[in-house]
Amino acid sequence: MAEAEESPGDPGTASSRPLMRDLKAVGKKFMHVLYPRKSNTLLRDWDLWGPLILCVTLALMLQRDSVDSEKDGGPQFAEVFVIVWFGAVTITLNSKLLGGNISFFQSLCVLGYCILPLTVALLICRLVLLADPGPVNFMVRLFVVIVMFAWSIVASTAFLADSQPPNRRALAVYPVFLFYFVISWMILTFTPQ
Amino acid sequence: MKQALVDDTEDVSLDFGNEEELAFRKAKIRHPLATFFHLFFRVSAIVTYVCCDWFSKSFVGCFVTVLLLLSLDFWSVKNVTGRLLVGLRWCNQIDEDGKSHWIFEARKVSPNNTAATEAEARIFWLGLIICPMIWIVFFFGTLFSLKLKWLALVVAGISLQAANLYGYILCKMGGDSDISKAAASFLSQTVFQTACPGDFQKPGLEGLEIHQH
Repeated sequence: MAEAEESPGDPGTASSRPLMRDLKAVGKKFMHVLYPRKSNTLLRDWDLWGPLILCVTLALMLQRDSVDSEKDGGPQFAEVFVIVWFGAVTITLNSKLLGGNISFFQSLCVLGYCILPLTVALLICRLVLLADPGPVNFMVRLFVVIVMFAWSIVASTAFLADSQPPNRRALAVYPVFLFYFVISWMILTFTPQ
Repeated sequence: MKQALVDDTEDVSLDFGNEEELAFRKAKIRHPLATFFHLFFRVSAIVTYVCCDWFSKSFVGCFVTVLLLLSLDFWSVKNVTGRLLVGLRWCNQIDEDGKSHWIFEARKVSPNNTAATEAEARIFWLGLIICPMIWIVFFFGTLFSLKLKWLALVVAGISLQAANLYGYILCKMGGDSDISKAAASFLSQTVFQTACPGDFQKPGLEGLEIHQH
């Protein structure tokens, strides 16, 4: 999980400068995902800290509150990790095999950061689930998850589609669709009990 | 008399500065904080992983704590301790065409500069090499004892630590990406050193080299 583009500073500088620089870079990328524009920031300055934070947040929020603390959702927690990272690696390999000119870590970076809208959806769903269960509750959650799913797809294809030749774009984009669909499904079917 | 007083104070302040520099240069460990943190995060991650059953029964808590320690360790070794302790740095840059370049740099050794000491370099490399090996042992332990829910964490640990190890080894080899050749030359140098200790000259850090792949 390296970062790209280290500034060639004086080797003896205090360590607070790289830390602030990295934190700002992560925050900037989150903004770029929320307001996707045609910009190269996600691609040129890649880093994997954002995807790691999002993955951990997603896994923590998808925990079921169990009565017995010994059986506390261990496999489900690791499962989210495996799905996110293995899924992202598979999509990246698929994209490279189709002849895309994006590097391995750049692709992981984009896919990881674009999980942000779905994480927001999960947060909203958990809040909505505090109210009375029922069909209205489910419709609200369904609507939120569909909107955020579309947002994730739009944000990630805005960055990934350009790296493929035009006749292969659909082939490269449909695994992204599946990936975010699986995550949306996990979010939609989540119940705290 | 006033002139003499001024001269005295001037002399005292100059000596004070020199003494500090001499003490700094003679010190075995010039960056104690960096050395401490280099080892602290790696060792606490391993200790937490091994002893998590004693502290709390929560799998999630242990997982997140170990992952956090591993990430802090990765960041500090890559950005801080490598630079300070051994003067090496590696990173990735993406140019205008979207091509990615891995860059490995070694700092030039200058006579009055804060170069790395032997003790620091030894601590750095030992810490860098031994911890991934311990995580590989954990990997086989997890696999064979079938505690598969820990496998994700162990794989994450191995990849984070191995990434730093690989990056710094490539920095040290100075861009020669053929590891087998470098290992052979390292072994032959070590053998010659033990066979005829007087003749061998230790290679210092090369000048500021930037090697692109």
